[in-house]
Amino acid sequence: MRDLLESYVKKGLGSGASFCEVRFFEERSNNVSVENGVAKTLGSGIVRGVGVRVIVADRWGFASTNVLTQKGFDTALADAIGGSRSIREHGREEARVSEAKPITDTIIHEVKVNPEDVSPEEKIKRVLELDKAAKGYSDRVKDTFVTYRDVLTKVVVCNSFGASVEEITPRTYAYCTVISREGDNKQEGFEFVGNVAGYEIIDGIEPNKFSAKAAERAVKLLSARPPPRGTYPIVVDQRVGGLFVHEAFGHNSEGDLVLGGQSIISDKVGEKIASDLVTIVDDPTKIRHGHFVYDHEGTRAKPHLIVKDGTLVAFLHSLESAAKLGGQPEGSARAQSHHNPPIIRMSNTYFAPGDMSFEETLEGIELGVYLAGSQYGYVETQKGQFTAKAEEGWLIEKGELTEHLRDVAVNGLTLEALKNVTAVGKDFKMDMPGMCGKGNQSMYVDAGSPHVRIESIVVGGRR
Amino acid sequence: MESEVDLVTPVEKAISLLSKMDLDVFDVSATYSRSISIGILGRGIKEASSLDDLGIGVRAYKNKGRGVTFSQSLDPADVVTTVGKAVAFAKMAQPDPYFKGIPGSSKAPEVTGLFDDEVRALDLEGAAKFAKAMIDETEGVRAGAMFSGNVSGGYWRSYLMTSTGVSFGEEKTHIGAFLSPTYREGGDVGSSFEYDYAISLGEMDFHKIGKKAAEKAVGQFGSRKVESGILPIIISPDSSGSLCSGLLDAISGESAVKGRTFASNCLGKQVAPEIFGIGDDGTIRGAVESSTYDGEGIPRRPTEVVSEGRILTFLHNSYSAGIAGVETTGHAQRGGYGGYVGAGPTNIRVKPGDSSLDEMVAETKRGILVEQGGFFSNMVSGELSSTIDEGFLIEGGERKHPVKNLMVGGYMLDLYTNIEAVSKEGRELGKGHFFPAIKIGRAKLAGK
Repeated sequence: MRDLLESYVKKGLGSGASFCEVRFFEERSNNVSVENGVAKTLGSGIVRGVGVRVIVADRWGFASTNVLTQKGFDTALADAIGGSRSIREHGREEARVSEAKPITDTIIHEVKVNPEDVSPEEKIKRVLELDKAAKGYSDRVKDTFVTYRDVLTKVVVCNSFGASVEEITPRTYAYCTVISREGDNKQEGFEFVGNVAGYEIIDGIEPNKFSAKAAERAVKLLSARPPPRGTYPIVVDQRVGGLFVHEAFGHNSEGDLVLGGQSIISDKVGEKIASDLVTIVDDPTKIRHGHFVYDHEGTRAKPHLIVKDGTLVAFLHSLESAAKLGGQPEGSARAQSHHNPPIIRMSNTYFAPGDMSFEETLEGIELGVYLAGSQYGYVETQKGQFTAKAEEGWLIEKGELTEHLRDVAVNGLTLEALKNVTAVGKDFKMDMPGMCGKGNQSMYVDAGSPHVRIESIVVGGRR
Repeated sequence: MESEVDLVTPVEKAISLLSKMDLDVFDVSATYSRSISIGILGRGIKEASSLDDLGIGVRAYKNKGRGVTFSQSLDPADVVTTVGKAVAFAKMAQPDPYFKGIPGSSKAPEVTGLFDDEVRALDLEGAAKFAKAMIDETEGVRAGAMFSGNVSGGYWRSYLMTSTGVSFGEEKTHIGAFLSPTYREGGDVGSSFEYDYAISLGEMDFHKIGKKAAEKAVGQFGSRKVESGILPIIISPDSSGSLCSGLLDAISGESAVKGRTFASNCLGKQVAPEIFGIGDDGTIRGAVESSTYDGEGIPRRPTEVVSEGRILTFLHNSYSAGIAGVETTGHAQRGGYGGYVGAGPTNIRVKPGDSSLDEMVAETKRGILVEQGGFFSNMVSGELSSTIDEGFLIEGGERKHPVKNLMVGGYMLDLYTNIEAVSKEGRELGKGHFFPAIKIGRAKLAGK
């Protein structure tokens, strides 16, 4: 495959491209879905194709195809070159990339138990066990869903700087969702595991600490109350802290959004943008869900220090943003599949730990809200406004957790919130394997944090 | 390339293989699409891209157990593998007690206007001209914006065959544009977005998108925080779609009939005042969400979903209809070649009221006009806690200033109960959806 990709890189250069990248992508997935004790669906899928990206006359062109014949490759290359020429007249953003050294490498992430070696029957048996633990938690458990999924991703990147890298990455997951019910009151609890790993992470699940935990959450939420409305100090757990660092801040540090005038921190490198307690890192080298060795431009990934002790240090870069913003490409460009060009993505993003205990982060709060378990979040980077939704919460009264809360969401202004971080715990965890959406692409990420306290955050609520 | 892609032969080959495998029922769908896109970022047009996609999906049932597989390849060997896996999976899966089968063949009059030769012929150079026109219009309102956005267009065709005699092909075009300008002035930011989409190029007005995006963005300068309170909110036609979709999603398909959504027990019940109604019509000529058949081959038809505030029907595919003991309403949704079939609305038509957005604002002493905000609730509990992404404080019947850092909370069904007015004018989207302005009498707002 590499020879073929390299030959098309040469053809691209021969057709007038000043930069040419040809990328093969293949993703094979398998899943088992159990609903209320019935393994009713088994599935699998293959995503496979090639994406070609070129710069011709200072303009970007990109094309992709699933048709892996010579004609398919020829068409994709011609489409990419034709695309860049089509915007020669009206294009306003010059295409430029940072020079890179030639590199040839192959990375195969090893696993202890290859999911391909585990029979579907055995996977069904295991998923049914997990489902049973959720179902058996309480008679208020109405519905249980457990899904197993394994994904094997192969990416081969060849470009005109002499990159020729191949990386094969396995990821394995289990998700449990429980719906509880009491009269008309229905609530939902979740639990999940996922990582760059094999079936060993499924073997390692203790049902009573996994699916039973989702069931416990769903049942306990039946008697939880809505949060108070208004502006409060909040303390977030490791998952909500991860969501905060990813959504509220992380997207703002992506070099393409900085270049495009879409970031609230585009002119703030070297400035104090957060409290002294805030250090934020994006680290694709950590063996977590967002892990990779080479990005999809063929750049070897390094840890990225973004904020140090409250000062903005650097942005995340692709070959293009590094060239235009004067940074170093350190491997932050990834693409969902061959159908997408690489764009700048976070990997494993985290809020570095401080030195406080959980109790100390709560200390002195007369009335506030504690948020636990992340559901979703989004940010308007250009305005610096974010929203984060937690699975559950507790009222904080006089430094103690009191009333259990449900449906807790918060909204804040990024730069205000970062300056209002007043306590950072030492109990760091990275445990939020998920997919991040940006520019119609979805990408593997993880996020982590210790317990963090933030003053003056708007808490949405119904009382 | 596209003229050479044959969808029928691989589907027929898969059906032929499946028919020898001693299965209950099965279906096979294949899709080919070609899309082009002009990407806008920063000062203007940044990149041009094109995409050729195809794939085949298989859904097989054995003893009511289901195997679902797909592949992005129509090569004969890959088709054999995809079929083989689906069969093996179906035989290993356990019986779904709710599964009653898949529909047989039905004939319906063709829904027309779903293909536009101009879109089919659109190339990247043409799309770039539309993108430039949109940007120029924005700069005509105010120069100096940084942009994100795109103009995209394409062509899609599919072919479905089932073991129950369904066999049909479809083809469609689509064209869409999105533009988000951001202006900066000192420490202040004015940012918003505008978009539209259609089947036909003639339905698109790129100049209007650019102009409206700029006007909305400039209007966001000077946003301020406002106090928490219980106030009326007026949801503009740009934003009421999420409120309406939220209810329709909660009365669609498997989750609705299995009692897993906040509206599961609302069939036949009054959920809003009599002024409120929603229709769904997948047969509108030339509309983006229209088609002759649904994802299982059932003819689309107009459906009165909410009438005088009462929910008249759920939206079904054959699976949920089987559980509910009713006929399917023709709302099966098949997401390309992935193999899975869900259920959901098509073109959503909210019944116009007798008010107007201007009258609603003029009649409000103090409240919030929501220009952008996702009214997405927890689908199980119906609890909602959403940010008002763009909005204005209304005082004394006038828009005072844009707001920021403001959330609305409540139960989805409470918002419906508190509908006070619906505007007669509204926004047409994709030539099929119609969303008016909706005034909610009381909403719980969280702010400073």
